[in-house]
Amino acid sequence: MRDPDEELVRRVGAGDKRAAAELVRRHLSRMVGLARRMLGDHAEAEDVAQEVFLRVWKHASAWQPGQAKFETWMHRVAMNLCLDRLRRRGRQGGEVSPETPDVRASATRALDDRQRRDRVRDALQALPERQRAALVLCYYQDRSNIEAAEILGVSVDALESLLSRARRTLKSVLSAERADLLSGLETG
Amino acid sequence: MNEARFVELLNAYGAELSRWPDDDRGDAEAFLEVAPHRIKDIWESERAFDHLLALEKNGPASISLETRVLAASSTWRNLRRPVNAFGKWRMPQWLTGGALAASLALGFAVGYAGEPAQNSDADYASMLTVSGAGAGAMFFSAMNDPER
Repeated sequence: MRDPDEELVRRVGAGDKRAAAELVRRHLSRMVGLARRMLGDHAEAEDVAQEVFLRVWKHASAWQPGQAKFETWMHRVAMNLCLDRLRRRGRQGGEVSPETPDVRASATRALDDRQRRDRVRDALQALPERQRAALVLCYYQDRSNIEAAEILGVSVDALESLLSRARRTLKSVLSAERADLLSGLETG
Repeated sequence: MNEARFVELLNAYGAELSRWPDDDRGDAEAFLEVAPHRIKDIWESERAFDHLLALEKNGPASISLETRVLAASSTWRNLRRPVNAFGKWRMPQWLTGGALAASLALGFAVGYAGEPAQNSDADYASMLTVSGAGAGAMFFSAMNDPER
């Protein structure tokens, strides 16, 4: 299947400003979304997205179509940058994401959509990083299982195992308020 | 597709079948059509959980980030151009050509005016004498000796 970004990347490599703007429009929010879910910090996520695009500008003229899809390559770059940052955080004393509060707090309070979203976001941050990476790629970035496995450098079986554990962990973390969350969704 | 495989995939990919592996999707849809209520209930429960997870959506990227990213693309394009150390001093082509012609003419003029006159043998002899070698004068005397 033809890479939908191939022509655009070729034009970016030739110095076409409009093509650069179109590539940004097409992929920037996805890159920010991936990094934000992995890092739990919006400012850091923007830094990662910017770094991804710096690499795009740098490598576009040398891009060889026919290997990985360009978007898959971007996802791999973004994911590696996120994992590097998470490891650096780990080396700096296992610092927990600054935006990770106790997800079980205020479970009895009525929840609006924003609060529900925050609960889910916090639960995602509580996942081990490999599980979170698998879930983010398949559920939020719409990568196929093969692409996600390729980005993470694991087999499809290993990816499915990561996804199952992630989903099980999320259910467990959100169990105290799951009924509330779901009933709110149904009635709201 | 059997029940065990269906549940295994459901636990991994959730109830949204578009997320399932291409090879399994058709079989899964067919299996779900005729599956017992117990399986359909599990699938419905996972579907509700998917809705919960879907609340965490992508928002649009900020304008300021978009601006920064695009500015970086322009910077990168400029960096890739060959560097012109004299970019600030660029002159019109006619002026550059004129300057080149003028400097050539000046070079010829200075070279011609400064060309030394043919030295006589005596001059060479005096130069050698100045260097302190009386032998120079003797050499030229010998050279000019009519009897030689």
